Amino acid sequence: MPTLRAWRWLAIPVLVVPVGWLLFTGLGRDPRDIASPLVGEPMPAFAGTSLEGQPLTSAELAGTPMVINFWAGWCLPACADEHPVLLDAAERHAGELQLVGVLYQDTPESARGFLARYGDGGWPTLLDGGGEVAVDYGVTGPPETFFVDGDGIVRARHIGPLTQQVMDDQLAALGLAS
Amino acid sequence: MSRLAVPLAAVALAVLVGLAAFVLVQPAAPRTAAEQAQRLAAGLRCPDCEALSVAESRTAAAAAIRAEIDEQLAAGRTPDEVRQSFVARYGEWILLEPADALAWWLPAIALGAGLAVLGGWLLVGRAAPPGSQPSGAISESDRRRARDEAEALDA
Repeated sequence: MPTLRAWRWLAIPVLVVPVGWLLFTGLGRDPRDIASPLVGEPMPAFAGTSLEGQPLTSAELAGTPMVINFWAGWCLPACADEHPVLLDAAERHAGELQLVGVLYQDTPESARGFLARYGDGGWPTLLDGGGEVAVDYGVTGPPETFFVDGDGIVRARHIGPLTQQVMDDQLAALGLAS
Repeated sequence: MSRLAVPLAAVALAVLVGLAAFVLVQPAAPRTAAEQAQRLAAGLRCPDCEALSVAESRTAAAAAIRAEIDEQLAAGRTPDEVRQSFVARYGEWILLEPADALAWWLPAIALGAGLAVLGGWLLVGRAAPPGSQPSGAISESDRRRARDEAEALDA
C-alpha cells in the first residue's frame, strides 16, 4: 500500500507534466498557422471574370504550376509588402509558372488603383464578389497564397505576406529552380 | 473520514446532476430547412472575423457560406454532410463546437479522476493501522531515553 508521501510524489508529476507540456507546445504556435485540408488534394475549380473583363477559368490554366494569390486593394501593408515577391516570380519564371490573383472582398476600382501604384505584373486576377472562390479555398483573409503543381494538386498554403524565402522554397518544391 | 464524506458526496451529486442536465437538455430538432440552415450557420466560425459565427457575421465570406448552406440543403444533403463539406475546405477550425463527443465528456472525466485521486489520497492517509506511528514521530524508547537523560541532568 503506497504511503501518503508516495501519493504526493506521484501527484506532482501527474499534474505538472501535462500542464507544462501544454504550455510548452501551445505558446510556441502561431494561431494563424492553420493547416489546410486542401494540401494534397486537387485544387478547387473556379470560373468567372477577370479584372480586365475576360472569362477566366481554372481549366484553361491547367497543366502549369500555379500560384493562386488572394489579395485586396485595402489589404495594406501586407499585400503591398508581398507584391514585389510576386512580381519577381512572374518575371523569373515566365512561361513555366502561372500566377493568378483572386480579388477578396474588394471592388475592381480599388484593385486597379493598387496595381497602378505597386505595379501590374500582367497576370490575371479573378473577381470574387460573392466570395465563393474564397470559401472553396478555405481562405480566412488576404493575403493568402496557394501553390499548385502541374497536375493541379495543392502542394502548400501560405497565410500572410509572402517573403522571398517562402516563394523560393515553395517554387523549388514545385520543381522550379530559383 | 465522515468529515469528508458529505462534501465528497455533494460534489459527486453535482457532477451527476450536471451530466444528467447535459444529456437531457438538448435543443429540439430543427423542423424546417430555414431552422436547419440557421443551426448550421450558428455552428460554423466566420472565417474572416473574430469570435462570431457565420449566422451572426455580415461579411461577404459569411454570406457566401450561408448561401452555400441553403444550396446544399436544397440539394438534399444532410446537415452533417454540409458541415463536413466546410471542414474539408477549412479544417475542423471552422467548427465552433468540437466534432469529437469526447471533448464534451472530458471535463467531467477529468473531474471524476481528480476526485478519485483525492479520495484515494485521503483514504491512504487514514488507512494506517491503529496504534501505528506516523514516520517522524517520537518512539516510546526515545521518549524514555530523553526522560532518563533529563532526570540525570537534574540530579
